[in-house]
Amino acid sequence: METEITIYHYLFIGLILFLMGLLGSVIAKNVIKVLISIEIMLTGINLNFVTFGTFCGGNNFDGYVFTLFYTGIGAVEFGIALFIFYLMFQKKESENIERYSDL
Amino acid sequence: MISTNPIVFYSVSSLIIFFTLFTLFAKKIINSLLASVLVFFLAAVMFYILGSEYNAIIQAIIYGLAVPIVIGLSIMFTTGKTENIKSYKNALIIMTFGFAFLLFFIDSVIFSIINLPDTFNITGINQANAFNVLSAFAKGIFINYVLGFELISLMLTIVIAGIVLIKNKKSSI
Repeated sequence: METEITIYHYLFIGLILFLMGLLGSVIAKNVIKVLISIEIMLTGINLNFVTFGTFCGGNNFDGYVFTLFYTGIGAVEFGIALFIFYLMFQKKESENIERYSDL
Repeated sequence: MISTNPIVFYSVSSLIIFFTLFTLFAKKIINSLLASVLVFFLAAVMFYILGSEYNAIIQAIIYGLAVPIVIGLSIMFTTGKTENIKSYKNALIIMTFGFAFLLFFIDSVIFSIINLPDTFNITGINQANAFNVLSAFAKGIFINYVLGFELISLMLTIVIAGIVLIKNKKSSI
C-alpha cells in the first residue's frame, strides 16, 4: 500500500495554521505576539490558496496570484500595525494588549 | 497533479506545527520571533513542494527576512520599558500539545517509512512548468486582476501618505 499526499493533507495543514494563529491572537497578551499570530493566520490562508491553485487550477494558477497579493498586503498591514503600536507604546509604555483597549 | 513524498510532507508539516506552538507559547518574545521565522520559511518550503517556486521565494524574502527585521527593530525599541506581563501559559496545555505532536510525528514517520515509495522523489514527479506559472502571474496581474492590482497600488500609496501624516501630527503634538 502506497501513501499518497492529497489535497486534503495540505488543506488540513492550512486549517491548523489558521486555527493556531487564531488561538494565538486571542490568548496572547503581547501585542507583537498577536501580530505574529495574525501573520500565521495569513500564512495558512496563503497555503490554502496555493493548494487550490496547484490541485484545482488547471493552467490558470489564479491561487498563486492571490497568494502574491495577500503576501504583499499582509506585509504592509503588518508594518502599519507595528507603526501604530510603536506610536501607542510611547504613550502607554507597555506591551500588554489590555492597555490598548481604548485604541 | 503533483505527487509528494510522504516523508517530506509529514516532516515539514510536523515542524510547522511544532514551531507554531513554540511561537504561541514561548516565554520570551525574541524566541517567539525566531520560531515564527522558521514557520514562515517552512511555509515557503511547503509552497515549493506544491510547485509554486515564485510564491516560495516571495514568502521567504518578505516573511522570512523583511518582516522579522521590522519585528526585531520594534522589539529593540520597546525592550527595557515594559512591565512584567503575566504569563498565560498553562503547562498542561503545552504538555498535551507536545505529546500529541510527538505521537503524530512518530506515527507519520513510521507509516511513511513502512510505505516508502519506490523512488525517492523529494518535490514531486510532475512539477508545474515554470514558464506557465510566470505567464499566469503576468496574465493574472496585468489582464485578469488588473483592477485589483491597481487598487492595491492605490491603497499602498494612501497608506504611505497616511503614515507620513500620522507621524507629522504626532511630532507636532
